Amino acid sequence: MKVRAGGLAVLAAIGVVALTASSAGAKQKASCGTVTLNQQAWAGSEANTYVAKNVLESIGCTVKITTIAEVPVYQAMADGKTDAVLEDWGHVPQQQQYVKKQKTVVDEGPNGVTGVIGWYIPTYLMKQHPEFKTWKGLKGKETLFKSPESGSQGMFLGGDPSYQQKDKTLIKALKLNFKFVSVGAEPAQVARWTQLYKQGKPVIFYWYDPQYLNAQYKLSQIQLPARFKGCQDDESKGGDPAKYACAYPSYTLEKFFSAKFVKSGSPAVAVLKRFSWSNADQNTVAGMIAGQHVDPDKAAQKWIAANQAKVNKWLGK
Amino acid sequence: MAVAQAAGPIEAPAASAWWRGRAGAAVVVALAILIAFFGWKNQLPWPAWLTWNSLAHDLDNFQAWLSNNRNVPHPSIVFRAFNGVANFLDNLVGWLTSFFFKLTWAGTTALGTLVVLRFGGRRAAAIVLAVFVSFAALGLWDPVVRTFALTFASVGLSLAIGLPFGIWAGRSDRFQRVVTPVLDAMQIIPAFAYLMPIVILFSVGPGAAVATTLIYAIPPSIRITALGIRGVPTNTVEAAQALGATRMQTLLKVQLPLARRMLLLSVNQTILFALSMVVIAGLIGGQGLGAVVTSGLYSDPALALVAGAAIVIMAIGLDRATEAMANRTDPTRRHLTAGKRRTLHLYTAACAAGVGLAVGLGHALGAGSVWSRWTIQGWLLRYVQNALNYVQNPHTVVFHITDPIGNFVVQYGLNPLQSFFVETPWPAMTFGLALIAYFISGLRPAVVTLAMLALIGGVTNEWTNAMETLSQVLVATGLTLVVGIPLGVWAAESLRARQVMRPVLDVLQTLPQLVYIIPFIYLMPVSIVPGVLASVLYAAPVVIRLVEAGIRDVSPHPVEAAGAFGATRLQVLVKVKIPMARDAIMLGVNQGIIMVLAVVVIAGLVGSGALGYDVAQGLQQSLFGQGVLASLAILALGIALDRVTQGRRRKHIELA
Amino acid sequence: MGSSEQTPLAHVIDRSGEPLIRAEGVWKIFGRRADRIVGTPDADLPRAELRAKHDCVAAVRNVSFEVWPREVFVVMGLSGSGKSTLVRTLIRLIEPTAGKIQIAGQDVTAASPQELRGMRRHTSSMVFQHFGLLAHRRVVDNVAFGLEIQGVPKAERLARAEEVLRLVGLEDSGNQFPDQLSGGMQQRVGLARAFAVDPKVMLYDEPFSALDPLIRRDMQDEVIRLQHETGKTMVFITHDLPEALRLGDRIAIMRDGAIVQLGTPEELVGSPADEYVANFVRDIPRSHVLTLRWIMRGARPGEEDGPKLDVRTTVRNAIPAIVGSERPCCAVEAGKIVGVVDHEAVLAAIAGEND
Repeated sequence: MKVRAGGLAVLAAIGVVALTASSAGAKQKASCGTVTLNQQAWAGSEANTYVAKNVLESIGCTVKITTIAEVPVYQAMADGKTDAVLEDWGHVPQQQQYVKKQKTVVDEGPNGVTGVIGWYIPTYLMKQHPEFKTWKGLKGKETLFKSPESGSQGMFLGGDPSYQQKDKTLIKALKLNFKFVSVGAEPAQVARWTQLYKQGKPVIFYWYDPQYLNAQYKLSQIQLPARFKGCQDDESKGGDPAKYACAYPSYTLEKFFSAKFVKSGSPAVAVLKRFSWSNADQNTVAGMIAGQHVDPDKAAQKWIAANQAKVNKWLGK
Repeated sequence: MAVAQAAGPIEAPAASAWWRGRAGAAVVVALAILIAFFGWKNQLPWPAWLTWNSLAHDLDNFQAWLSNNRNVPHPSIVFRAFNGVANFLDNLVGWLTSFFFKLTWAGTTALGTLVVLRFGGRRAAAIVLAVFVSFAALGLWDPVVRTFALTFASVGLSLAIGLPFGIWAGRSDRFQRVVTPVLDAMQIIPAFAYLMPIVILFSVGPGAAVATTLIYAIPPSIRITALGIRGVPTNTVEAAQALGATRMQTLLKVQLPLARRMLLLSVNQTILFALSMVVIAGLIGGQGLGAVVTSGLYSDPALALVAGAAIVIMAIGLDRATEAMANRTDPTRRHLTAGKRRTLHLYTAACAAGVGLAVGLGHALGAGSVWSRWTIQGWLLRYVQNALNYVQNPHTVVFHITDPIGNFVVQYGLNPLQSFFVETPWPAMTFGLALIAYFISGLRPAVVTLAMLALIGGVTNEWTNAMETLSQVLVATGLTLVVGIPLGVWAAESLRARQVMRPVLDVLQTLPQLVYIIPFIYLMPVSIVPGVLASVLYAAPVVIRLVEAGIRDVSPHPVEAAGAFGATRLQVLVKVKIPMARDAIMLGVNQGIIMVLAVVVIAGLVGSGALGYDVAQGLQQSLFGQGVLASLAILALGIALDRVTQGRRRKHIELA
Repeated sequence: MGSSEQTPLAHVIDRSGEPLIRAEGVWKIFGRRADRIVGTPDADLPRAELRAKHDCVAAVRNVSFEVWPREVFVVMGLSGSGKSTLVRTLIRLIEPTAGKIQIAGQDVTAASPQELRGMRRHTSSMVFQHFGLLAHRRVVDNVAFGLEIQGVPKAERLARAEEVLRLVGLEDSGNQFPDQLSGGMQQRVGLARAFAVDPKVMLYDEPFSALDPLIRRDMQDEVIRLQHETGKTMVFITHDLPEALRLGDRIAIMRDGAIVQLGTPEELVGSPADEYVANFVRDIPRSHVLTLRWIMRGARPGEEDGPKLDVRTTVRNAIPAIVGSERPCCAVEAGKIVGVVDHEAVLAAIAGEND
């Protein structure tokens, strides 16, 4: 029994040795310490997070990544659970509460990307119906977009429940005969409209840029009423639908850091402050990650290698 | 003896009209509601004057107040307490994570395999080894470790809490009576319903994930422990008492050793329950495979599928390992003598040495914390992606079959049913449903139903959404029963069927629902259908297993008797077995509904809309009011459905 | 020997002193309002009505009896008669709803938890229908279990356990585990365990019901032998009438929780109290149970010199002597002639068996 037990242990050890391969050596700890970046669900956010991660790692930081949704991440930053969000689409109530009132989160300015949200249809549909260029052209033609869920009305595909959207109210305000249908999270929404696109059928949906799919699918945006003073975008506030009858604003995407992180004096703070790139940059990396299914770290490293000058600016070189 | 006088021919009892009796009454009420629907469609939505309209807003204000007050430099003691617990949990998970990383893959594999070898036998150890190798091969070691850490932390705490309470419930009838409804509630509530309060209290992170998992995993721990304690033969416990043992002596010398196998089985079940929460945990900051699944859905569904497979592998590995350890170390079968005990101690020491060796070698060879070179992840992802591409292509044959079916089901089945529930005037629906509950189950469930419906409409202000969800739940349940009961009967009758079904059912119960919804999103891209189908796939295994167990448990004597009267196998099944297994079948219906409700909520993320969507949106946009109220509505639905399908319980008093 | 004879007792029971067990007015009602029903007329309702009215079950109704030292007191009844509940109330394994129980002078019903424990450890022990052994321990450890609970050191209690195993004939099985033994042997371990603590009173709850009929007979012999050797006082529960008649000095027949008749085997067989008991004993051959005392008549002058037989001899055992003698036989008790038995008496007794 004793021999057998000992023999088994040795055997196991040999087996382990035979299987063990060398891999990346242990990371060196530097004066930078650990930085926690938050990545949002969509590929664009994954892109900028992983690029920042690799840049920070090159100056010796250990980078952790959390995946907290857009709104709760403010509380997480206030608690110090995550240090920085590199792409925020303008959450006014949260900014009021955490940045202005509590001062637990700091606004670090634009990240260089401009966001656009709106109503999109496939370009082939726009060619067939040039009147759809503005929203007025949709009136009377809504039944073109009928689906099993929408009954006699046309179907408007809503966006991911975690994204800001006001289409339910907007449809009412513009008095269009659409039924607002939410098919759930973005993967489900994408599945829906891409299926219809591939079949050449009409579909109208909430969509945005930067988005990596915009390189693969040809989409056209429908013009919504111009923005006026006092225009509302936050559906949860309720009130007169007419106040919502305007297009989505253009979003300067901004970076937010937790106050604790800023106070810590880590060298990472300065680098992230200088982080800035364009829509095209973000779409390139996002396209690699989500479109070609490249490993995010590898995609980031590829882009960094090809854009060393920009990266050096962030590093302050 | 008197000679019996020949009586006149015995009259057959009059056939009762179909509308008499309880089932008939329920049908009549349903018809009445239908008439109300056609007559007054859409004219009477739940009235505003009966609703607590400002509640959502008040709750939102409460959340703002909470946030403002917990982030000040010197928060009050209550917040400090919650922060303290959250930090403790975070640190616990962090500590376990770095522990496993320090062990390196080699060390952890050695630890797992040798421990299972020592306590569970060779076969189980081989399974564990294969599981660890597959983790490395899939290139998912990092998230696997995090999930391990999360699971172990949750399981450890569940057992630390569950064991003492379970022992208490096992020994005290009164405590069991008190704790059972609490445990029922904890298991009925879909996890989505308590995510919001937990996030508020503990903030997102591993701590919140552990807390969520705890709520779900503690009930089985308590229940099975209690069952084990009560399963110790009565005479044995009485013998100890009759010999004058104190309560502690009885517990330590008799009950615990003899219940040991059941206690280890409770560990097994707690682990499985904890693992089933992995994906939900990913939504609130618990890292690991759950997060890979949820984020993979957005950018890399193939990776999400692979991570889902890793979760299944982990579940099956842990299940087989703990089951083997429970059976093998059963002291009532092991017959340990002093000599054998010594040998086993040596064996343990050798295994520990083996682990130490592996860890040392792992570090020496610079294996680090992650194994990165020999993974097959790239190849596997490509393979899965190709399959997904096929699924996503609307020009395939499969799509041409599934798409019309999906459309048909929605247009002529789900949508009309949904309108029926939503647009019927609220008095007809509310009182009608309560009446139906009365005819099916009796007064108390009917009162509960009425109360829950009032809660839904009046307090949560989610009448429309709740009716939508209800219609989906009923459809999904109907489908589940149509599929599950026959399959369960078949499994009971045929060994071959059982053997084929077992692995399939195991996978369906452990694979995260979000993962197997993915193909349906593409093949039947109509909003409600994937959710309904996912519910069926998740709930059917439970129904199948319960029905199978029920029919197999039917006493063989009436079956024999029927056979002796010349009944065919089918007659025996229909006239004897199924009626006698009625309790188990009812339990299957009850559990099936609960499972369906749980999934329909997740399905809200992928198109089922209604309550699930409101909770998901509430969670992700920090709309506390909306999230909590929608959760409350889900809870109310769950309670009402559970009460109505539980049937009547009888008390038994045993006499000597 | 035949199947249901009563062997002449080797000991005489001295009923002059205090009874070792005294039960007075013991009630046990299961249900939520149990204690409010005792003493009210509702308590005497038949079972079905009591259940319908109060959702309670009266398992033991107003039972009183006494057991003297060295006596084997049998409680007999069908299932549901309350006998197992009754024996458990004696040591409060089930708490009686009302009544008073004294064992060896101690008030059991009023005892504190410590006193009760002390009484269970030193004064009483119990043997169970399903043996109640610890499956994870060796036989010798099982036997020593009672001593272990008392805190007796290991060497001492194992030595005593070995002694007792010898007493029951299992000295070679000490190192085995219960599941390696047959049912009969397991119950012997149960017996050994009960004897090991040297109790004053031993309780047996249908100990042989779970065994084969052939083994049952051997076990009954075993118990009789042990009782003769050790002189223990026993309360014995059974549903088997021949077993009761074989073992018991006095037998209480229970029905629906109450004692219907309490008496010696002869009294039960010879003069059953009601039709229920009569039905019970109907199939017992009376000659196997009744003794000469039952069928003798007063001696007439001139009959004192017939063959002498002990008055406690059963009719059946006396037949050869009576039949073989022309003169009537004399029944003798403690040296004195107390009665005379002739052929007519024997014939009447035998003829009465087939009624």
